Amino acid sequence: MTVPTDLTTSPKPRDGRRRVTPAKVMLVLFGLVVLLATLRVLTGADDLASSGTLRATLVAAVPIGLAGLAGLWSERAGIVNIGLEGMMILGTFGAGYFGYFYGPWQGVLGAILFGALGGLIHALATVTFGVDHIVSGVAINIIAAGAVQYLAALSFTGVKGGGQTQSPPIDSLPAISIDALSDPLGDLEAKNWFIISDAAALLRALVTNLSVLTIIALLLFVLTWYVLWRTSFGLRLRSVGESPASAESLGVDVIRYKFVAVLISGGIAGLAGGFLALVASSTFREGQTGGRGYIGLAAMIFGNWRPGGLLAGAGLFGYTDTLRLRGGGESIHGLLLLVAVLLVGLAVWQWRKAARTAAIVSAVLGVLVALWFLLSDSIPEDLTGMTPYVTTLLVLALASQRLRPPAAAGQTYRKGSAG
Amino acid sequence: MRRLTKTAAVAGVVALVLAGAACSKKSDDSASTETGGENCVEKTDDMKVGMAFDVGGEGDQSFNDSAAKGMKQAACEFGFDFQTAEAQDGEAESAREGRLQELVDAGYNPVVAVGFAYSASVGKVAAENPDVSFAIVDDAVEGDNITNLLFAEEQGSFLVGAAAALKSETGNVGFVGGVETELIQKFEAGFIAGAKAVKSDIKVQTRYLTQPPDFSGFGDPAKGKTAAEGMFDAGADIVYHAAGGSGGGVFEAAKAADGWAIGVDSDQALTADDSVKDIILTSMVKNIDVAVHEFLKSVHDGAVKTGAQVYDLESNGVGYSTTGDHLKDVADQLEDYKKQIVDGTIEVPTKP
Repeated sequence: MTVPTDLTTSPKPRDGRRRVTPAKVMLVLFGLVVLLATLRVLTGADDLASSGTLRATLVAAVPIGLAGLAGLWSERAGIVNIGLEGMMILGTFGAGYFGYFYGPWQGVLGAILFGALGGLIHALATVTFGVDHIVSGVAINIIAAGAVQYLAALSFTGVKGGGQTQSPPIDSLPAISIDALSDPLGDLEAKNWFIISDAAALLRALVTNLSVLTIIALLLFVLTWYVLWRTSFGLRLRSVGESPASAESLGVDVIRYKFVAVLISGGIAGLAGGFLALVASSTFREGQTGGRGYIGLAAMIFGNWRPGGLLAGAGLFGYTDTLRLRGGGESIHGLLLLVAVLLVGLAVWQWRKAARTAAIVSAVLGVLVALWFLLSDSIPEDLTGMTPYVTTLLVLALASQRLRPPAAAGQTYRKGSAG
Repeated sequence: MRRLTKTAAVAGVVALVLAGAACSKKSDDSASTETGGENCVEKTDDMKVGMAFDVGGEGDQSFNDSAAKGMKQAACEFGFDFQTAEAQDGEAESAREGRLQELVDAGYNPVVAVGFAYSASVGKVAAENPDVSFAIVDDAVEGDNITNLLFAEEQGSFLVGAAAALKSETGNVGFVGGVETELIQKFEAGFIAGAKAVKSDIKVQTRYLTQPPDFSGFGDPAKGKTAAEGMFDAGADIVYHAAGGSGGGVFEAAKAADGWAIGVDSDQALTADDSVKDIILTSMVKNIDVAVHEFLKSVHDGAVKTGAQVYDLESNGVGYSTTGDHLKDVADQLEDYKKQIVDGTIEVPTKP
């Protein structure tokens, strides 16, 4: 949803915190609509800003965003969580099993519970026993895939519509549709008026068939921001990730904070998996996470370990992936123009910052992309699949100087290290 | 800390108990679905058949199941033992080789490998075990002891493409492929050719969910749903999928958009959940069971045919399903196309 925002709002690490006010959010949203509208009109690829695309973007972004949020909780407490993918896999099964046999809300709880179980293993291994975080995470990914394969075969074999590798369809969670708004907005969208139709499309995406779980997921971002940055619990949790020795010397129970953070991380990752099985589709299916846990981790880094930036990163992923799946080469082709403009803009900015070499590289890249846009009508299918990854690589490459991970992330802490 | 450990232990136990509940639940359902049973021959034959599944495994309601069905029928008819082995998503080549070799070591002969993923491993293991007969579904691997069970998917896809064009009211249909491999391109090519044969100006949208070597496109219903939604939003009213497990998402999208979906590999109107079966217009059926059964019969009779065995419309290896009777009004035209393909008047392309 909030595609290019990170370029303008990525938080500066040290010099005070920028206030996120409703006015700013509206401004960013408005800028986004203008950008999409301009792009749509210039390129003629109408699907770039249709309500269908935006709705699908939201659905695609939420699991990635939640996975990133899970990573954020864990890394803020100093535990690198590469096991997100595995916890998501556990979550898909939890959602599938409890969702099918008991009901969708139980499915949500089951997803969180199973994810938290993965988190528990990771916490025991890394916090209690001091296992290398990467090793434990990778192990969880492998164990989760195997365990779920086994459990799914036990649970769904012979159930009508299900099988060893998938659950039967699960009942949907309630979704909110405001028809009184949706229909007139649809008419407005169909007019293809510059900006007005695009704003209508955005609003329509938000009032049509919006799952309750999507809303909960978005609230979780706000909640995370509040808890981690506005409560003493959050301050202690972050201090554990920055400098556990100092935290312990000030009386913080480091081990307990890390443990809790990783458990929460597992629960959220499980919910991310549950979202895939309950909202993005309505079945549990083996392998349905498709690497989204890793993408979530990338989104978290992209967002500089902050909820807002992370959400922007997830949105960027969701948007490019949705464009590719819905519109294919034509829509992605339209996106080329945006990339070209952004690159040239970046070149100007770098030039003024006296980063001459970087500016020239950006400018040349920008011109090349612009030429590509002008000289072709579509992008081959083989390349469109790479779009989300290329976009992220580009953004990461350009923004990496400004990233600042928690100082003690990845380090094993033993009780009493403060001396 | 100690209290925390205790809490953790309790949580773990609870989870295990819940998982245990999962185990006990299934036993009452599964027995009924085993095939055969009624008129099976006593297990007399000393032939032991091993079958290695592709990702998805038994219960995928698709080609793995179809292969299993053929084997179970043959086992029932000729009275032999069989063993199945499951594959894992994203596993290494060595894992597949190991699986085949294990079956061979345990005395299983012949060994049937389901799916093109096994092409390299079958070639290797077959060369090392010249006395064992191998069959591979969906790929042409050379070898003196290898039988290739191949299908003319493009011919079946042609017919469902024609059906889609005949039934489409918007003149706009779609194809969702799981992963852009040569095999899935055969489905696409046939579908497009069939649709255009009926209506030369029909719009056919095509989309693949992932590109090799990323095979997640066969098991990601969320992606299938998004892609199909895009097609329905762009005016399509019928979408054909050749995307394995991602197809469930295509069915969901079709239901939400009040459109039709076309299933693949097996008659999906029979296996899909009640909530979506009404929107399945037809399915492109690939009778892997027929091929597997025929292969096992040939082994049983001691007359194995190695090399490529192509199952096409003529030999009833591919076709379309009519569950739900949605194609009643166009059945004559479809039979006519079928005849033309069988007698060679229409040649269906295998590449889009």
